[in-house]
Amino acid sequence: MRFMSISKPNSGMSRPSTELAPPPRRPLKIFAFDPMLARLESTRVISIPIMNEPLRPGPQGSRVEVLDYDGVNECFYPAVDLDDPRVLMRGGLDPAEADPRFHQQMVYAVTMKVIENFDFALGRRITFRGRRLRLYPHAFLGRNAFFDPRMGAVLFGYFQAERARQGPNLPGQTIFTCLSHDIIAHEVTHALVHRLRPHFRDPSNPDVYAFHEGFADIVAIFQHFSFDGVLREEIQRTRMDLLKQKTPLAELAGEFGQATGKGEALRTATLDADPQQYERLWEPHDRGSLLVAAIFEAFFLTYQRRIRDLLRIASGGTGRLPEGDLHPSLVNRIAGEAAATAQSALTMCIRAFDYLPPVDVTFGDFLRALVTADVEMAPRDAHGQRAVTVEAFRRRGIYPENVTSLAEVSLVWDPPEGNLPMFPTGLVEDLASAARNLGRLPTQSNAVASGSGLSDGDKRKSKRYIALLSSYAKANASRLHLDVKLPIEVAGFHSSFRVAPDGQLLIDIVAQFAQCDESTKDELGGAPVRGGTTVVASSDGAVRYVIAKPLKSGASTRVKRAEAAGRTERQMEFVERCDQMDAQQAWCSDPADRNTRMLRMHNFAGLHSS
Amino acid sequence: MAETKSITVRMYNVGFGDSFLVMIPGANRTHRVLVDCGAHSLGPGPVSMKEMVHQIISDVKDADGKSRIDVVVCTHRHRDHVSGFQNALWNRVEVGEVWMPWTEHPTDGLARRIREAQSQRAQSLNLALARLGADDGMMAIAENSLTNARAMQMLHKGFLNVRRRRFLPVEKKSGRSFSTPLLPNVEIHVLGPSRDENVIRDMEPTKGESYLQFLLSRTVSTSGRVRPFREDWIMKPGLYRRSFGHMELTKAQQSSVENVGSGTDFDLVTKLEKAVNGTSLMLMFVCGRAHLLFSGDAQWGTWSAALADPEWSEMLSKTTFYKVGHHASHNATPRAFVEKHLSKKFSAMVSTRFVKKWPEIPRGPLLSALRARSNRVVRSDESDVPDAGGFKRKPLYVETTLAV
Repeated sequence: MRFMSISKPNSGMSRPSTELAPPPRRPLKIFAFDPMLARLESTRVISIPIMNEPLRPGPQGSRVEVLDYDGVNECFYPAVDLDDPRVLMRGGLDPAEADPRFHQQMVYAVTMKVIENFDFALGRRITFRGRRLRLYPHAFLGRNAFFDPRMGAVLFGYFQAERARQGPNLPGQTIFTCLSHDIIAHEVTHALVHRLRPHFRDPSNPDVYAFHEGFADIVAIFQHFSFDGVLREEIQRTRMDLLKQKTPLAELAGEFGQATGKGEALRTATLDADPQQYERLWEPHDRGSLLVAAIFEAFFLTYQRRIRDLLRIASGGTGRLPEGDLHPSLVNRIAGEAAATAQSALTMCIRAFDYLPPVDVTFGDFLRALVTADVEMAPRDAHGQRAVTVEAFRRRGIYPENVTSLAEVSLVWDPPEGNLPMFPTGLVEDLASAARNLGRLPTQSNAVASGSGLSDGDKRKSKRYIALLSSYAKANASRLHLDVKLPIEVAGFHSSFRVAPDGQLLIDIVAQFAQCDESTKDELGGAPVRGGTTVVASSDGAVRYVIAKPLKSGASTRVKRAEAAGRTERQMEFVERCDQMDAQQAWCSDPADRNTRMLRMHNFAGLHSS
Repeated sequence: MAETKSITVRMYNVGFGDSFLVMIPGANRTHRVLVDCGAHSLGPGPVSMKEMVHQIISDVKDADGKSRIDVVVCTHRHRDHVSGFQNALWNRVEVGEVWMPWTEHPTDGLARRIREAQSQRAQSLNLALARLGADDGMMAIAENSLTNARAMQMLHKGFLNVRRRRFLPVEKKSGRSFSTPLLPNVEIHVLGPSRDENVIRDMEPTKGESYLQFLLSRTVSTSGRVRPFREDWIMKPGLYRRSFGHMELTKAQQSSVENVGSGTDFDLVTKLEKAVNGTSLMLMFVCGRAHLLFSGDAQWGTWSAALADPEWSEMLSKTTFYKVGHHASHNATPRAFVEKHLSKKFSAMVSTRFVKKWPEIPRGPLLSALRARSNRVVRSDESDVPDAGGFKRKPLYVETTLAV
């Protein structure tokens, strides 16, 4: 009972002055990669510290909940109670493939880790629009796991390994996708990307789904580098070369790849750069791997630069390390640099979101957003990471459209044209007060009270923001490249609070406006041509960036009109290409299916083997 | 005589299928090429396939009363292209050569792998669908990819006095084009199926084993299904709700989870159909000015490789006769080919018929696009527009002549 009173402040049992604060973190055990890799190396069972929040059995927290419903066997598996003292004292359940409650714990822990990475990079608490993200660890029988936007859920499959070519698995052994760190991180990232940019669900160019896939892989791979013990071990084993030596750090879903007979991990980050691939690769996972490769290359080069001095010291200036094991202190220092570089790469990628257009994203847009965000945050680029990132994209033939050069100044998004009035100040103040809640731990009582929905007060505020933003957008439509005659959707708005490396507090207000040309919807298979603008303002309301991808009818300059026409053209070509490759349309019994064919061909449930 | 200087192409009205007889004038006799002979189970023609085969065999009789075909082409092993070859009567027909795609090669390792993958998939899919009680439209598509063993046996081992069986294209670079003494003055160009890895990838059924497992799992009782955990972990929904009342899972949400993978059967069936279409032979017969393009049911992989090849791209622009791919479905005739290559006056034949289950075939806009360029486009099943001059329509076929 005494134990319970610690986790339950204000219970009246203890005096406030001696009350213990709730621990900020909750340690939970997971497989660093997956059960197969953990079996091969015992250190690959790790404990990760997750931001502490009160949990009900499930686990069900304030933002996610694990629902263990098995849709094949039509049954439930009992929900784990991570607040049970017997579990708490162990630092979470020990890994056990045969115990569904451990599966629930791992899915929860990895999901929260991904969400925290987004919180941290974006400087705000990401919520799922008042609902909880649902996680079904054993939803179906199949070699797949996917995010379903309609259900607001990630569904994980389980399957039997191949009976031949099963790799280091038992023939026919049951493989759980929910026990793969990479698969969980990948799928949850889809959910977060969808949360931040809902229109990236529309297949309007070949990069959109590839961006979703590539980004999801980036998060999964870079999270590996935060696993301290594993990282140190891999640095020792590979003698610091995390690239040429095969290491699970740079691979994705080892067990899944082996169990499905692929003979290797599902995907691997490599540095091969062939500019033709960007032209040639269309399948979203393949194309997305170009993005992964570019980011990984930038990470690796920066890492090498950052450890150069350590190498010099350790090798007495020769650069050649003595034979045998590396000194543990050296390994520690190197691991520290690798982890910091990886975290910085990941943060840089996630932070780009605030500067992405709301619709029709391309890899080039992502590069510009990444550079803009990073210039804002750290103008100095101390380790040169930004510069090598630009170069890594260039080596793969990925260039932003409509820029004059690859110099930093050309890549940073354009400031607004002409004078834009201040963002509504009421809004700014409201957002600032909302920000005070940032990072605050939810208490047992308010977590329960808020339940799974937005409170009435929040809903009222949110409505008011939307009204304010809508009238702002209408009043300034032409300068925002919006068509005032078409409905303008407020696709998202938020403020973010970040501390720059130089200690400066940066406050941004970001709003996304979107509109669409409904007349193109049927012809383009359900994904109409969309236009939209992301507006980034400072805390005083001054607009700093207008990131516009307008509709033809909304573009107010000649350059933007030409861009818009080009985008429409590109989308039509893309649809035609997809039609050519589509197997189903010919055999559809309802001709009206044509009008949704692009949505049918593109969804996150696509198989994860290519 | 002027008549002997032209090629005749006859399209039999087999229903939803293909069968073409090409008659090429020679010095002493007319040389004959038969391209495919089959119909879909769901789209029969006006007469039975047996009657149709009788008709074809009597149409190829020489003056001595013997039936002779110089070359029999099997574009791919789909039922709607080969079912007519099941008939034992073909064993009395003298055939000079039989041409098949390289994927039919009896000993080539890669060919065998592709064939086996396709036929295994077809078998397991048909089994799963039959057990699930799939509708006949879906069953018909799935059956179309079954091995059609008797017909293939005829093509591989049957006919009378076959001199040679070719599996095209042969691996050598020079194998792209060839000629044969059986068809004097004719050059044959093999535009597909290529051995390019991207095209080959289109031929292998997409990974879907676990979905098959999934489909089959639906057909066995709950007790026979794969259980991920020991029996005692299982909680009935009622007990779960009582124990964990804070979890809100509505019946509708529950059935969304149960229905994961629905529609997969259709996906697998159509992808397999496409994979087999990917093995289609795509041939251009060149005889003087006449350029006859038989693309089988080739789809994007083969087409894009052909369009990307400068030599072939130029040749495609000379097409004077086009056998419209895959019964005029939307993805067997690239728009670029119609718009950029079919500029000259050409004839086109569409072997198709309306099947209620598949209203998208033939695809209206494709027919319109072809007809916008030439008035010499005919369908096998009906003269929906008056046939242009030079076409001869009989109850069982329509034919045209092409200048050499």
